[in-house]
Amino acid sequence: MDKRIKTLQDKDSYLDIQKERKVTLVEVLDRVLDKGAVVSGDIVISIADVDLIYIGLKVLVSSVETMERLRGAPFSGATEEPT
Amino acid sequence: MEAADKNLIYLYCVTGKAPKLKEVENLVDELYFVYQLGLYAVVSKVKESEFSEENLKKNLADLEWIKAKAIIHEKVIEGIMKNTCVIPFKFATIFDTEDNLKAMLEEHVQDLKEKLKNLEGKEEWGVKIYCDIERLKAAVIHEESGILKIEKEINSSSSGKAYFLKKKKEELMKEAVNKRINEYGQESFELFKMLSCEARINKLLPKEVTEKEDDMVLNSAFLVDKDKVSEFIHAVDDLKTRYNDKGLNFDCTGPWPPYNFCNLSKGKEQSG
Repeated sequence: MDKRIKTLQDKDSYLDIQKERKVTLVEVLDRVLDKGAVVSGDIVISIADVDLIYIGLKVLVSSVETMERLRGAPFSGATEEPT
Repeated sequence: MEAADKNLIYLYCVTGKAPKLKEVENLVDELYFVYQLGLYAVVSKVKESEFSEENLKKNLADLEWIKAKAIIHEKVIEGIMKNTCVIPFKFATIFDTEDNLKAMLEEHVQDLKEKLKNLEGKEEWGVKIYCDIERLKAAVIHEESGILKIEKEINSSSSGKAYFLKKKKEELMKEAVNKRINEYGQESFELFKMLSCEARINKLLPKEVTEKEDDMVLNSAFLVDKDKVSEFIHAVDDLKTRYNDKGLNFDCTGPWPPYNFCNLSKGKEQSG
């Protein structure tokens, strides 16, 4: 049940208590899609209406993925690139 | 790699000091920053075939696409955040040209600088509380004299009357549970709020999204002074222990880029 699982040995002592753990993709989407600074106007293409709940109900059915948040460690996990 | 595919500019975050791109430049192609009036915008070039308004709309129906891009968005900002304070922008904030991006920075320069100043030395932490309703019910029933009384009556009633009493009991139980959830949630939130500089309550996510067996009963975010982070986490742990037998579970995550604490005041879309 506890998400704050240590997944790797400490690599540095940035934050003693909990810096390396698994965070669900939902946690990421909950912020990235819904929050963050928003600019409006003609000069920007910005998505106004991505709703995690909407997306969730539609398609987030079988996502059991988790992503590792490696605090203070190199980004070893990310390999996907937009091209 | 079509020649006709125009480049657009994807904005990740804005910083007040030169961002260190080295650690994150393997995440996306052509990551760089644009400087304007003391602000640094961390951006990358993306293709119109993927991020033009029309194509973006199409891609937003594709969860796999969203997942991949959202993780990149998060990781780029997290990487930059290690060395300097950031204002994270919303997923897929796209500019046609560098001039447009610079115009945006110019328009919001004061606000962005104030925000950066305010965010300095602080971290965003998220606390979600989940509740195992059945466990909470079992834990509180002994404290509810009204419900206990009905229970007794049910045992000594005819089946017809017992049916209605059971209905009544269920109703009371629901009320009692809701009351407790509100109470515990409120109390927890107020405590965390006291230990932070700013606090937000966000939409609850349904089980279809969280994929947990328990119901989310609080979704909150806090801007916490770096010096107070360990105190904050201990407070969450304390409550977790205290409410464990009531079926509550606390999920504390961070530090996050301060997504919840950077609404730009001039923007028109934030009120919704």
